[in-house]
Amino acid sequence: MKRFTVGVLLVFLLCFGFVALGNTQEAKIKAGFIYVGPIGDFGWSYAHDQARRIVDDTYPWLETVYVEAVPEGEVEGVIDRLINQEGVDVVVTTSFGFMDGTLSAAQRYPDKIFFHCSGFKRAPNMATYMADFHQVYYLNGVIAGALTKSNKLGYVGAFPIPELKRHINAFALGARRVNPNAEVLVRWLQTSWYDPAGAKEAAESLIAEGADVLAFTEDSPTVVQVAAEHGLPSFGHYSPMYKFAPDFVASGQLVHWEAIYLDFFAKVYAGLYTPKNLENVDYWWLLREGAVELGADFGMPINPVFEEQLRSTIVNDPVYGETSVYDLVFTLLKAMADPEYAFSPFTGPIRDRKGNLRVSEGVRLTMDELITMEWAAEGITGAWPGEPEK
Amino acid sequence: MSTIGFWISGVVGRTLAYSVPLLLSTLGEIYAERSGILNLGVEGLMSLGAFSAFAVAFFSGNPWLGVVVSGIVAGCASLVHAFCSVTLRTNQVVSGLALGMLGMGISGVLGRDFEGKVLATTLPVFRLPFLSALPGFEKHNVFVYASLGLAVVLWFVLFHTRWGIVIRSVGENPAACDAMGINVTLVRYACVFFGGVLAGLSGAYLSLGYRPSWSYGMTAGIGWLAIALTIFAFWNPLWGMVGAYLFGILYHLSFRFQAQVSPELLNTLPYLFPLVALSFVSRLAARRKVGPPASLGVPYQRGSS
Repeated sequence: MKRFTVGVLLVFLLCFGFVALGNTQEAKIKAGFIYVGPIGDFGWSYAHDQARRIVDDTYPWLETVYVEAVPEGEVEGVIDRLINQEGVDVVVTTSFGFMDGTLSAAQRYPDKIFFHCSGFKRAPNMATYMADFHQVYYLNGVIAGALTKSNKLGYVGAFPIPELKRHINAFALGARRVNPNAEVLVRWLQTSWYDPAGAKEAAESLIAEGADVLAFTEDSPTVVQVAAEHGLPSFGHYSPMYKFAPDFVASGQLVHWEAIYLDFFAKVYAGLYTPKNLENVDYWWLLREGAVELGADFGMPINPVFEEQLRSTIVNDPVYGETSVYDLVFTLLKAMADPEYAFSPFTGPIRDRKGNLRVSEGVRLTMDELITMEWAAEGITGAWPGEPEK
Repeated sequence: MSTIGFWISGVVGRTLAYSVPLLLSTLGEIYAERSGILNLGVEGLMSLGAFSAFAVAFFSGNPWLGVVVSGIVAGCASLVHAFCSVTLRTNQVVSGLALGMLGMGISGVLGRDFEGKVLATTLPVFRLPFLSALPGFEKHNVFVYASLGLAVVLWFVLFHTRWGIVIRSVGENPAACDAMGINVTLVRYACVFFGGVLAGLSGAYLSLGYRPSWSYGMTAGIGWLAIALTIFAFWNPLWGMVGAYLFGILYHLSFRFQAQVSPELLNTLPYLFPLVALSFVSRLAARRKVGPPASLGVPYQRGSS
């Protein structure tokens, strides 16, 4: 028995020895990813994890680890563990609520690199990034405006923060471009980014009030499933939700976080990004950079089920004249993906729902104005916490 | 149908559909506590039920098989708690909490590969004759009707049958029951098992009917609410039904009225109302001397009292 134990121990030691050897020869950078939700949420955290796998597979010199479902207040402790026990060189934190914790950790570990998603605080060793959907939501709005019969579009939002307000505004502006009578009914969850029961009841109440096309920001496919139960079209969010309702997911918003991660880690590896020069590194990537995509599924901008209806809906567009909605979507998509940003959804004149002129004629909102947006566009109904009077 | 009629049937329908898991797990907890065993592991049992139902339905293509398995799995898991609290006479709070965490953890780990999977066949919806004429009862998952009927049946059993007297007596005075030849251990095991089965079924409803899909944390605190509702209901299945539907209607209305009333206020209502109701009802109860089962949470040992 004793000899057996010694044998087992020897085998273990040998294994560890080889693993250690293997490590020193390969990985040059180790990155730790921190997610706010479970990676199975099929939304935000899932999309980040898919991207992590892609960079891990693409770069042989990169090793990654992740921690999921981290409460926003506990991020600092998790960062400590990643750095001290896992020995990571780069920490990627993927929730707005991780911002202050990440910044404070960045100050305590000045020789490590931090990469924070969707925030606005940076440091010499802390960069920020975001792949924003407002252009895609605008195109979803154009499609929704053409599909609705009741002229009521429903939107389930998790929290009334500028990011969602920007997206709902873009959705409403797009819808009213092709259908000036379109209204967007909004319901907020205000509980969690992941709240399937809330999303279900919110979607049901929107349908009960007459909404016949649904879009949402929440980290589960619930809204898509509810819409399909009622035979109504909807738009997927974050990950391809086509498979949950192949006959009803008209389009949606898809993200390619890997576009940003591939660029960022390549620059870290090449020594372009160091713990001293990240103060002004802020990725704000859109359609043009390939960080976001319009679609019910990857490579499917519009579900073929809806193609006929959108092709036969002819509108008189203020810019492009008489055109089918189907063609208009692709014309606008091309204009927004253009290297010169030929078109921005937030180009004036735009009034808010209280009648204030928010964007003057011919003016285009800047990134700073976009990320601090609080007003509600014309056509939006429902509560709008934090709505400015003027 | 008139606008008001349409509105009422919508609200009633959503309330019925939303309240099912809350009602089922509350009924189960009432039976466990009536026999003297406090089971704080409801949330974990629900999660186990939701996961096992989904996994079985996913592989077999038969949601009903999933329903059966979820009841068995959660029932058997609850026997762990019964073993600890009845046979080993450990602290029921600790062992219940441990069971809850274990259930969440196991279903979370085993369920990882099932997250985001699509179920080919889900639980069907039915129209019941006569009942479907009522507003809000038009068509529902079978769980909706079954849970409503079950609440009435369980109330009848608890208060109007010999079995009910036995269960309640075991929860009040196990020593006297023992002296009369009632098998206290068996009654307690059976009640905890039954509570586990109902918690598992409520999980199955979530993952096969209400959602339908599986993801970690999908029980979203319903198991904890069930424990609170058990107290609110004064360990009475009919009051449990009232409480579950009350919570359900407030939850649904909090979304319906959002355009008119501040969403922050509405969000608190489903939780605030039971709190207020609880304080009123408990004053009433103090006058009528209604309270928890006298031996709730107290392990029974022959000859020690």
